[in-house]
Amino acid sequence: MARIYQVPSHTRLWLTLAVTFCALPQLLKGPLWQGGLFALVIAIRALVNRQRVALPGRIIRSLLLMGAVALTFYSFGRLYGPEAGVALLVSLFGLKYLEVVSQRDAYVLLVLGFFVCATSLLFSQSPLMFLYVLLCMVLLTACLAGINHSDTRASGLQHLKRAGIIMAQAVPLMLILFVLVPRVAPLWNMQVGNGKARTGMTDSMAPGQISELSESSALAFRVVFDGDMPPPAERYWRGLTLSHFDGRAWQQAIPRGMDEARYLYGGRGPTPDWVDALTAGRGDGTSYAYQVIVEPTQRRWLFAMPVPFVSEGGVSLARDMRLVANNPVSQRQSYQVVSVPAATRRLPLVAEEKALMLSIPDESGRRARGLAQQWRLENPSDAAVVQQALRYFRQQPFHYTLRPPKLVADPIDDFLFRSRKGFCEHYASSFTFLMRAAGIPARVVVGYQGGEQNSLGSHLLVRQYDAHAWSEVWLEGQGWVRVDPTGAVAPERVERGLRAALEERDSGGELSGIQFDGFADSGLLGVMREWADYVDFRWQTWVLGYDSQLQLSVLSKLLGQVTPLRVAITLMVSVALLLGLYGLYLFWRNPAHSQSPLEKEFWRLHQRAQACGLALAPGVTPSQLASTIAERWPRAASPAQDWARYYQRALYDPRQKTRKQQMRHLRGLRNRLYKLLD
Amino acid sequence: MRLPQGPRRLYERWLARRLPAASQIVLNQKRIFIFPTGYGFFYLLVAALLFIGGINYENNLILALSFLMASLFLVAILHTFRNLSALGLRNGTTESGFSGEEGALEVVLFAEQRAHHCVWLRWPGQDAQQVSVMAGEEESLWLNLPLARRGKISAPRLKVESRFPLGLLRAWSYATLDHYCLAWPRPQESEDCPADGGKNNQRAFSSGQPGNEEFQGLRRYVPGDSLRKIDWKGYARGRGLNTKLFEEPVGGRLWLRWDKLEGLGDEQRLSILCHWVLELDRQHQPYGLVLPGLTLAPDTGDVHRWRLLDALACYPEF
Repeated sequence: MARIYQVPSHTRLWLTLAVTFCALPQLLKGPLWQGGLFALVIAIRALVNRQRVALPGRIIRSLLLMGAVALTFYSFGRLYGPEAGVALLVSLFGLKYLEVVSQRDAYVLLVLGFFVCATSLLFSQSPLMFLYVLLCMVLLTACLAGINHSDTRASGLQHLKRAGIIMAQAVPLMLILFVLVPRVAPLWNMQVGNGKARTGMTDSMAPGQISELSESSALAFRVVFDGDMPPPAERYWRGLTLSHFDGRAWQQAIPRGMDEARYLYGGRGPTPDWVDALTAGRGDGTSYAYQVIVEPTQRRWLFAMPVPFVSEGGVSLARDMRLVANNPVSQRQSYQVVSVPAATRRLPLVAEEKALMLSIPDESGRRARGLAQQWRLENPSDAAVVQQALRYFRQQPFHYTLRPPKLVADPIDDFLFRSRKGFCEHYASSFTFLMRAAGIPARVVVGYQGGEQNSLGSHLLVRQYDAHAWSEVWLEGQGWVRVDPTGAVAPERVERGLRAALEERDSGGELSGIQFDGFADSGLLGVMREWADYVDFRWQTWVLGYDSQLQLSVLSKLLGQVTPLRVAITLMVSVALLLGLYGLYLFWRNPAHSQSPLEKEFWRLHQRAQACGLALAPGVTPSQLASTIAERWPRAASPAQDWARYYQRALYDPRQKTRKQQMRHLRGLRNRLYKLLD
Repeated sequence: MRLPQGPRRLYERWLARRLPAASQIVLNQKRIFIFPTGYGFFYLLVAALLFIGGINYENNLILALSFLMASLFLVAILHTFRNLSALGLRNGTTESGFSGEEGALEVVLFAEQRAHHCVWLRWPGQDAQQVSVMAGEEESLWLNLPLARRGKISAPRLKVESRFPLGLLRAWSYATLDHYCLAWPRPQESEDCPADGGKNNQRAFSSGQPGNEEFQGLRRYVPGDSLRKIDWKGYARGRGLNTKLFEEPVGGRLWLRWDKLEGLGDEQRLSILCHWVLELDRQHQPYGLVLPGLTLAPDTGDVHRWRLLDALACYPEF
């Protein structure tokens, strides 16, 4: 083809739009200079298209390219890795757009566009993002249709329509492929974080940290129960245990002399004795089976009720009865858990562990120590000391508040004997301190408590403001027992959540700064939130979570027995069927001659006249039709003649502009005529 | 596609059997071939890369995107095929020429069922021409045909090709229209007019003396009359198109005769005859032609000239 190809002018708009839309997600989250680069490229391109300036030469393009690479390095510190790589790809995409001349260039640009779309999905996998990518795909397809349509008469909208049709036919096919094409295990492992620091727990607890978390209504995780749901007061989602206290903050610690290998069990190698002990208790009492879908935290710990048993890989069990992921949770992740609360009593407490759980810094909490030792003397058993402590919290004027006063000197004594206003972390911290001072092994547990049920999906939603801290004490014969001192002060917190607890005793407008996005809002907003959550949840479980396991269960429901041959045959037959259906639609619909609006107008009256019993000869003309009507229905004579006259005038009127108006008038005449027939 | 001689001939023979020549051809699934273009393969490669990426990042949406690209490709097969399917081609008129020059053939494309966008038509060794046909309309296209030898030059196999709508696939078909161009013999000058009849002095005509023709009168123009004999002055005065009639020339009728050129090769004889046909036509001299197996009575005019030239082109099969 010897002709010099140029991107047709009717496609330029779509090309610009496609480039802009594809790059937009990266431009919004990437460095600012990228937006500038794109604005520059699009401005130059617009001027080139209007032939105001010449296409930038090789030197300018090379300079721009080097500039983009240098700026990428400056912004990210490297050129590889997901963020920097995507930023570079998008810059190259923009620069390629600048130099599109031939059809080949346009093809390369569009293929880069497909890649850029895919990278947007790397960082966000929400349903909206996917819809957006579909929109980009329609634009890219419209560009493809446009660059292959070298007719100068073609209109741009035609391309969009054609792309829309093709896309509408491709999407059902995509669904078939998505469901049926077997999922393969990753060839090599890659992890992409979305690099954003999110609100969530940190691995230590200092006063004020959890109350900060309570101001966020972001989703922490969702739980789908397989069977019974525990009552609200039992919904304690353990995340971390904190056993080392430095006088101010609680931190994670491993008992002296234990290494992480012995402390964590990932399902491989010889089982440590404590795992055997816990596994032995798997049949004890009630158990809850559920699936947790956790939002990215960039941390390794996971959330579960005690004592969690998991079967899948990638998740380890720690000696303090919690779950730890092998890699930081950088994307939404789901895991199946069976929790057996009664199995805690099986776990032994070894000497090193006991030493750690009793350790308190010498210089802090002198008055608290005295109080604890007094309780110790008064009560014979550990359990009685625990009750005594809870009674103390209940009877003394303690106050549950999100905005506690600052603790100055010694956080423990200051809180217990002076301010007495605090949030769950204050209660958990001081209670654990008191227990340790009284010689009872104790630790702080942080995690989430409660959760809100979505009535549509019947799953539980745990948000950041459900974050909570409580204590666990080790009682002989019972193992680790959960004690929630906050429950002694504000029982509503445990039963009905933070919101209820604060509303109950909202005195100084504590709720004002907090956004509660719960479903509890009655009315439309609450319903909409519930629906949005349900869609997101289903998207997560059905689309994003459609892995080989889920695929196997779906296929076995569909096919009975899943063999590679059956899957292959089903895949081919369903694709062929669908394509055959499209073929019928595309080839059978035979608009050999589509009637013009005027012809339709004539045939409508013709049909109506025949339906009213008028015998019409074949090949009747509009004026003959009118005179036949006039003969049969004399009072319709003059409107019929009017109609025929106007019809003929419209038919031979060369002006296209007045067509719409004429059609309306003609329709009016015909409708008036209808009333006079019969 | 350069095949070695043997397989190439086999392929040609297979193609000729599969797609026989006809004066009107409607492209259907029997005739249309379809295959991805280079870009189509590139596109599939990108889809495969996205598939691998989706698997490795365990990202179901990227997988879905790669499936969407594959689906788009599958749907594009139907649409590309549809763009060529039901396109009709038929013979149009032809323009003959002297051998060694170029003739032209008209191919008429008709779209009975649907519009066909951006269809490329090409003869081997020529640049492609692009045409779009709207539904229910016709478009015609002139294709030049080099006339290498005298005789009936039939139209080569026409390649009809389309990549519309997405350029991912190429649908093509070969249409052999039984359409031909007549290549007249290349005129060759010669001293002696191979004619008899009329005056004995045949040289007189070749020396360029005007023939003695006497104006007889006018009659209404009928299509086929020589344009040179039209009474243009009268037409300008508004008397309508009339043809001037001349009295039978003094020289009488001339018969150009094949057997007057004894001892020469066939092609040379035809070339000389061709030269004299043109020469006598220029002189408005009525002339006839006698070829073995064909006799054309003397006459004048464009239509007569063409008839004679065509007869010379077709010799020996009329």
